[in-house]
Amino acid sequence: MWLVLCASNDISALWAYRGLAARGLTPLELVSAEMLAYSVHWEHRLGADGVSIDITLADGRRICGENARGVLNRLLSVSSEHLLLANPADRDYATQELAAFFTSWLYALPQPVLNRPTPRGLSGQWRHVSEWVWLASKAGLPAPDYRQTSRDRVDGMGIERGLVPIGTPVSTVIVVEGHIVGTPLPAEIHEGCRRLADLSGTGLLGVEFAAGSAGLWTFAGATPLPDLRLGGQVLLDIIASVLRGELEENE
Amino acid sequence: MILLCGIPSETPLAMVREQLNRLNVPYVMFNQRKFASTEMDFEISRGRVTGEIQLENRSYRLEDFCGVYTRLMDDRLLPELKDEPANSPKRYYCRALHDTLIHWFEVAPTRVVNRTVPMGSNFSKPYQSQLIREQGFAVPETLITNDPDFVREFLKQHKRVIYKSISGIRSIVQTLEEGDLKRLDAIRWCPTQFQQFVEGTNVRVHTVDTKVFATAVSTDTTDYRYAYRQGGETELKAIELPDELASRCIGLSRALGLVFAGIDLKITPDEQVFCFEVNPCPAFSYYEANTGQPIARALVGYLAGTG
Repeated sequence: MWLVLCASNDISALWAYRGLAARGLTPLELVSAEMLAYSVHWEHRLGADGVSIDITLADGRRICGENARGVLNRLLSVSSEHLLLANPADRDYATQELAAFFTSWLYALPQPVLNRPTPRGLSGQWRHVSEWVWLASKAGLPAPDYRQTSRDRVDGMGIERGLVPIGTPVSTVIVVEGHIVGTPLPAEIHEGCRRLADLSGTGLLGVEFAAGSAGLWTFAGATPLPDLRLGGQVLLDIIASVLRGELEENE
Repeated sequence: MILLCGIPSETPLAMVREQLNRLNVPYVMFNQRKFASTEMDFEISRGRVTGEIQLENRSYRLEDFCGVYTRLMDDRLLPELKDEPANSPKRYYCRALHDTLIHWFEVAPTRVVNRTVPMGSNFSKPYQSQLIREQGFAVPETLITNDPDFVREFLKQHKRVIYKSISGIRSIVQTLEEGDLKRLDAIRWCPTQFQQFVEGTNVRVHTVDTKVFATAVSTDTTDYRYAYRQGGETELKAIELPDELASRCIGLSRALGLVFAGIDLKITPDEQVFCFEVNPCPAFSYYEANTGQPIARALVGYLAGTG
């Protein structure tokens, strides 16, 4: 069994699900974050015999870790609407417990998983923009200067930051286990993207560029949750091969 | 120069300061409670990280710090913000300052104990247990479920079972008793963790880079951290670990990206070693105060690059 895990409104993932099914990955199960939250049975075990996960969804489907052959994981958050009626203290506690639980059972799924969960995010290495700039520089990509100060404006949720103004045209490439799909790149940028994915420990990574202070290919951001449609059919071919275990990492 | 971050009176931080004073190692302190008079900035240009922090009207170049020891409390809970509304400029400034500091920790080309991100594994205990397993430690038999029948079966199998939180929220480890079984239906709302109780000696291992300090903890309670609340007693004693186990503890800390870690082991009567958890921000002072182990001194040595 292969799995596509995503929010029910993740159009990009729904598109990928159809494309992967058309490539013969069967059985291929589409499981939304909301369905997972309402699962009727959870059983996650750790011990001397290894690690296991067994889930029965409300619609009767069963997800058993040992039967999973490959996972496209686009989960962003844990749905906790079913806790709305709980008292606030219990709700906060349960929400944190669920987030911790999801990280663990997703990590327990056998490889390949694009992307594996980390403490930074259920679908991979979500990093602050300062870290992306730093890593991009280490990867040899032309990165803009980055500055942060204690006098920066903070919104209610945090600090809004972007490397380029909203609306700036960007070119996106998607790196999947060392294979790069998207806008054709100069050789050194191509190599830099692979190094960035490697340094950031991200199997599937979207990398954006814009004309800017560091030249035509100025690093403009990276995400473990890119719009897969930007990679087109070629990207789906690669993802299908990775999930089948046919494609080795491109060295 | 070393930078300390946190609340000066907090015991672990105070112990590190005491050692810094004793060893004549220069340091400055970012006192969170004085956030309003602190300013900071950093810049990344062509991969080089530079910046400045202003403390008590004196400026320090960030690149001059050879080490940083941080024990930041949640800045939203600082007493100075108690009466501030959610959208007050003071609150926003405090958040922006801490945001700047925390993100500098991640990219700072210096010794940071510990960087923020590696500390994240502890936010999900079973996730961290999987990482611990990968490093060759035994972990207790664990069941996380929302099915009461599975819990009853697990209890029948292991006879003595404990339950505890799996997230970063601290909970007191409790033994699953007959009375708890009557309210097991509550777990249907949220999968809950149950663990085989492992008989043996609790051992807390502090690793500081390549140094290892092991403390055996004897207790008559389920969770020795709360022995006094449960009317029990706890005794701490410094011990030496076999070289192989000490190396494995260092390897585990490194695998988690931690320079300084508090590793909770239990060694069974047949000498099997179980690892329960790795604390990425250990309050080592309790152990040092009770055993005299020079943990703060080792920390200072690491931060100063002399240890």
